[in-house]
Amino acid sequence: MLGFSNISLSNFLFWATQKKWFFFSIILGVCLLNIPSPEGLPNEGKIAIIILVVALVLIIKEPIPLPAVAIFIIISQIYSNVDSVDGIAKSFMSDAVFFIMGSLMLAVVIIRQGWDSRIALGILKITGNKTSNIALGFLSISALLSSFIGEHTVAAIMLPIGMSLIRFTSSDLSQIKGLSATILFSIAYGCLIGSIGTPSGGGRNVIMINYLNQSDISISYFEWMVRTYPFILFQIPIVNWVINRTFKPEYKILDSSIRKLVIKVARSKSMTGRNTLTVLIFFLIVLGWVFLSEKFGLGTVALSGVFIYLIGGFVKWSDLNRNTHWGVIILFGSTISLGTSIRLTGAATWISDKILYGFGDVISSVPFVSDLLVIFMTTVMSNVLSSSATVAVLGPVTLNLVPEMLDVGLLTAMSSAFSYFTAVAAPACTIVYSSGMVKASDFLKIGFRVGFVSIILLIFYVNVYWPLIN
Amino acid sequence: MKILIAIGSKDFSKPTLKLGMKVAQAFNAKTTIIDVGEKISEFSSQLVELAQDQLESWDFDAPGVDVLEWAFNYLSQNKLIDTKQTETGFPKNRLIDDGEGRKMVYLSGTACEDVNLILRNGDIIAELREEVQFGEYDVTILGKSRKRNMSHDLLQYINSSLLIVNDYEDQKFDKILLPLDYKDGMLKVAKYAIRVALALNVGIDIFTVFDKDKSQKKGSNYFSKIIKFIRRSGVQYSHEEKQGEIVEQIIKKADKNKIIVMKASDMSPIKRFLKGSIPLSVMNECDVPILIVK
Repeated sequence: MLGFSNISLSNFLFWATQKKWFFFSIILGVCLLNIPSPEGLPNEGKIAIIILVVALVLIIKEPIPLPAVAIFIIISQIYSNVDSVDGIAKSFMSDAVFFIMGSLMLAVVIIRQGWDSRIALGILKITGNKTSNIALGFLSISALLSSFIGEHTVAAIMLPIGMSLIRFTSSDLSQIKGLSATILFSIAYGCLIGSIGTPSGGGRNVIMINYLNQSDISISYFEWMVRTYPFILFQIPIVNWVINRTFKPEYKILDSSIRKLVIKVARSKSMTGRNTLTVLIFFLIVLGWVFLSEKFGLGTVALSGVFIYLIGGFVKWSDLNRNTHWGVIILFGSTISLGTSIRLTGAATWISDKILYGFGDVISSVPFVSDLLVIFMTTVMSNVLSSSATVAVLGPVTLNLVPEMLDVGLLTAMSSAFSYFTAVAAPACTIVYSSGMVKASDFLKIGFRVGFVSIILLIFYVNVYWPLIN
Repeated sequence: MKILIAIGSKDFSKPTLKLGMKVAQAFNAKTTIIDVGEKISEFSSQLVELAQDQLESWDFDAPGVDVLEWAFNYLSQNKLIDTKQTETGFPKNRLIDDGEGRKMVYLSGTACEDVNLILRNGDIIAELREEVQFGEYDVTILGKSRKRNMSHDLLQYINSSLLIVNDYEDQKFDKILLPLDYKDGMLKVAKYAIRVALALNVGIDIFTVFDKDKSQKKGSNYFSKIIKFIRRSGVQYSHEEKQGEIVEQIIKKADKNKIIVMKASDMSPIKRFLKGSIPLSVMNECDVPILIVK
């Protein structure tokens, strides 16, 4: 046909089918561009929303590489005059992006310090040999650590401990499906639960602080903890109960597997002075987040830590460079810049007005509806997108829904951690899923239960506890 | 001759590996066994890699290594690889990452040429296509997927002949069904059918179906040559002609005991993409192994 060989036609067709979602998103974007702006929505706002819709399709379906999506978001905003080059560049490199960059780099350093064996011994000393207590131990330690370190780092540290315990119980995994799921979901969900506890628990918390700061609202590290940490403490026993009830571990006592794990840990390399120094430096970083972040930003403190690790020779740049996903960093930068544009062009106000209009008096007259609405939107989106990207694009909208911006901002950040339903929504879940010991259907099975319980608990929490401390 | 055998799990891939290795032996082919693991979201890919590194320090294998180990044990038990290599078990330390997202181990075969084991991650069609292009394979062998789209994509985008294995058992298949028409380009298909028939020690049923709407064509010299070629190979054969709907007749004739060997469609890729093809319809509807020769 037209001089093309069958192989080149076949190559073209393959390329086109691989990119079908890209073509779909572009056609969708062009169609939306040709629809006149609705009343009250400025043209720049309409374009910003269209870029968001196209970007969401591209991020979820991944027909093109994520860095390409990031570049698309940036250039399309500039070409369509949504914002100036300087404006985009300014919103692109925010403290939130510094934090995400620093946090991913810190993960590379921390994961390799041999903390896993110490943590394993610590958990087993506290919990003893009862399976339900061990699961609670995994859930609690994962939650506690991820509230400071970041869910992905903790999941990577905890996974080998959990898998070793499972393997020492039985080499035939089909005989211990319930136990495997109990231990591994305790790790994954522990990481998610804990990540809301402090601003440094996840990039999404810092993104929300960034948006709150743009609206002249500030919240310190400690204030954030006071408002969110008790929720973690409520969630831990309840989620532990739900996990145990759902998967029903085959063994109630894990005596011999614990002994084997202790022997394995005892044989592993002992921590060196350098490993201890790494821990001390990380402790200083946490102190920096608590006391200096309001002035200098969480990202600056995280990058300072990376700087110390680099000049101290604790990690090589080549190692950081190889293991840091720069594409994800620039994608977060671009989604934050798009979120800022959505706010500045009035698109966020327009969307929230439409939502408020759609619900009529229900939001103001029926209690908890506004909370439920924010939680529902955020939970759904964070399960198909990613929690940080969800906060980046949804944050400006939810902040306009109710007058109490701080409360709704925190509510958005907290519910973005409810990525319980799919294996791909949160890095902690993907890491656990990659072990091959749990199935994608397990996430749905337990996700609905934990998600439902967490939503009810959060509504109860924000309406009872927050009024007490306000 | 180079053959690529795609396996996916210890539970379901045994028929594929069994038939695949028999065919590889028949062709004395250089064989690669590949496991394509699930695609990881780009968002978390780097973090998952970090976690996998951490798991390796606790003596856990990367996902998919267990499937390759199972394949190695199968080869070893059936003496399809050099016994010197089987003494110490699966050589995990020789599983080399080539930096292109593939982990591989080289083994030397006994019944066929070298056997390689490869591990890749990602979209199955894209990964197989890349591997076939990279390794210039002649035949790709894999199990049947329940997804209809997958058969279409395999036929459309994999640039090699395809053997789709459906529930293969040694005793069950006693014939090769060779649907032939009087068009050119059938000699290669006949050669493949003869090799497979010799490997499985079965006869060939040559089957010519005339479309019920078209008038019957007369046999060509070319067709006689093919029949002569099969006769000379020493394989027992029979020839039957029938009129009717082609796909339906082939499936009916294949029944549950014949392995189909047929020619891929001659249509242009765009026509095939839009209209489908006879081999695709047969592949979708039959319950027996089918080799589509490109």
